[in-house]
Amino acid sequence: MNGVSITFTMAKVIVPFYIVIEFIKKTGFIAVISDFFKPFMQLIGLPGEAALGLMAGYFINLYAAIAVIAPLELSSKDITIAALILGISHSLPLETAVTKQTGVNAWLLMSVRVFFSLLSGVVLNVIWKLFS
Amino acid sequence: METVLVALKDSLILSAKLLFIILPLSIFYEFLKGRDSKLAKRRFAFIGISGRGLIPLVTGIIIGLTYGAGVIIHSIRTSNVGKKEAFLILLFLSICHAIIEDTLIFVVIGANGFILIAFRFILAIILTYAIYRSKIFKTPEE
Repeated sequence: MNGVSITFTMAKVIVPFYIVIEFIKKTGFIAVISDFFKPFMQLIGLPGEAALGLMAGYFINLYAAIAVIAPLELSSKDITIAALILGISHSLPLETAVTKQTGVNAWLLMSVRVFFSLLSGVVLNVIWKLFS
Repeated sequence: METVLVALKDSLILSAKLLFIILPLSIFYEFLKGRDSKLAKRRFAFIGISGRGLIPLVTGIIIGLTYGAGVIIHSIRTSNVGKKEAFLILLFLSICHAIIEDTLIFVVIGANGFILIAFRFILAIILTYAIYRSKIFKTPEE
């Protein structure tokens, strides 16, 4: 069954990631990464830790991103912003390969995705603040 | 050790929640694959995407680039969609694809689904329209 096998594939990504993140949280390594990305993450209104989730999403896939983001216990606003960024731009190695197969300029489109994902994060952050 | 067990439990619960979303979706996708999409013939004409481009476009919006790859690649290669139109389709899909699954899996952990779908759809339309209308795009096709 397709759906079951997809979920199994997904769980194989989520479970180890989730456990690793719990461990990294204890070592204080996340604090180092968070501080590094803080200035930029403030623009999109996310805590520094979320940078890890965005990278997992960009380079691996959304399930890896969710496994990183879920244990961080962010607010609904933060999760929505992260989801918007990740929805536009994720699984870049795999999906750029797919895009290439259609014959269009896949590298250009990949840059478009990354650029607009971050820009959308900034915009949604501003809009959200205006309306709350 | 306790950390591992708690993390294991939490991650399995999260996986189980996602199963309830992905299972019905994958059945729905299989159902969609077998159908011709006569959904909206002229609706996307204003952003430069014709009837021929609708199958890859609608497949991508609903199913996504990863699972819809087969349909998208095949339909773009075989349906006489021009190079420029193919670019517009992929541009639209770059911003707005797999809107059901991508949205729901984040709703599970607390995101606002309506904002996600509306934002991506509107951004994709604006961007595709802007490129379609731009001077770069109007140069004759070689």
